[in-house]
Order: sequence, then structure tokens, then C-alpha cells
Amino acid sequence: MNDDELVYRRVLPAPRELVWRCLTEPAELAHFWGPRGMATPIDGIVVELHPGGRFETLMLGEHGSHRMVATFTEVVPPERLAWVDSATGMHTTSTLNDCGDGRTEVVIHQRNVPETMRMPEARAGFLTSLDKLEEHLAHLTQGDRS
Amino acid sequence: MATTIEDPQLDSVFTALSDRTRRDIVARLSAGEATVKELAEPYAMSMQAVSQHIRVLERSGLISQGRHRQTRPCRLEPAALEAALSWIEESRRTWSERMDRLETHLVRLQERENQ
Repeated sequence: MNDDELVYRRVLPAPRELVWRCLTEPAELAHFWGPRGMATPIDGIVVELHPGGRFETLMLGEHGSHRMVATFTEVVPPERLAWVDSATGMHTTSTLNDCGDGRTEVVIHQRNVPETMRMPEARAGFLTSLDKLEEHLAHLTQGDRS
Repeated sequence: MATTIEDPQLDSVFTALSDRTRRDIVARLSAGEATVKELAEPYAMSMQAVSQHIRVLERSGLISQGRHRQTRPCRLEPAALEAALSWIEESRRTWSERMDRLETHLVRLQERENQ
């Protein structure tokens, strides 16, 4: 694991194929994708499940709507799904690991790497450590802030 | 106040922190003020190169440089780092809540299949 990523892990009580289906089929995404208080109607979801394909969701809330427009960069069923957000350059990779007992570990990696998208050779130099940043901040907020 | 990832200051904070030397400078300044000369000491690079890193950090709002004293010490501006942290927390929360909902949905789907 590189240290340039924000990582979120979760073990879900379902086989990998089913988790994959939920992450890639509009009818399933509509049930859980949108943030709390926002609906993600099925007809606002576009999933073109191949590298270069579109991934779009329309989230509707009381106070307005938000459209996410992204492009898939990696589609390896049922293991790995990655996309880059067109507005922010944020790169998100979901990795599904079969726990072997009917459960699936989902690992979400996020990198805010517009530079990487523009010039692949910059990837090696991209060392933003969000987790390290968090440590620095914890350090800061504990320390003297005169 | 909600922080959005479209925030241009946040972009410049993350860009500033995309460099190892600059992260190191930020970490060292979290212990207290330092002059450019003091900051440059441990690095095998020219003062000019270090000054350039400091300018990037200053433009992002992560650090500021004193205007009055001749040595112009650099100091950390915690607000910019806090904006970055709240973005990280927001991102974690979004995924954490999304996974909660996915879990509920998965349990329901499997119950239906087993009936």
C-alpha cells in the first residue's frame, strides 16, 4: 500500500459477486449511493462498465442536487473498480477481497490526483499523504497554537 | 461551514503537500517558527530551491512569513491544514455512511433470496 492514499476499509456480510453487483448496477446503486438525505434515482445513474466508460449519478436533496460525472479507469470484475471524477480529478479505487467465509472486504482508495491524470510520469512523484496530513493535524491540534 | 472539494484553496493546499520536502517543512513548522535559513539547513538543495518551496506553501495559505523582523520567520497557519482535514473527514464519512447503507441493502437482498 502506498502512503499517498486515503484508505477506507469495510467488511460486508455478503459474497463478492453480490457486492460487485451492488457497486455496478444502477438498480442496486439507487438503494445506497447518495449521501444521507439525498435520493439517487435509478434513471439518473449511468454505468458504462468498461475502462473509458461513463459513471454518473444524480443526487437529489431538499436543498438542491449534485451530479457526479466520472470516467471508469479500471473494471476487473469482481475484484476492482476505479474511476476518476471529472470535476475534481479525484481518483477512487474500490478493491473487493473475498474473505473466504461468505464475507467481502471492500477497500476504498482515494487520491486527489489531477496531475497524475495529465502526466503519468508524475505518478511516482505524487506523495501526498492524506493519512500523514491527518497525523500532522492531530499533532497540531494537541500542541500549542499561539 | 461545509468544505467542498471544488474549493480552490484546498486544491492549492493539496498541491503544496504533494511534495515530500514541503510536507517536511510543514511538519517542522508544527513545532514552532523558523527562518528560511534554519529550514534550509537539513536539505541538500540551494537556498533558492528551499525559498521556492516556501513560496508555494505561502501561496497555499499553509504558512506565513513575518513582515517586520529582518529574519522574516515562517510560521504554520493551522486553518489551511484544518480545511484539508475536514475534507478528509467528510470523505471518510461519506464512504462510511455509504457502506452502512450498502450493508443494510445486502442483508435485505440475501434475505429475499433465501425466502
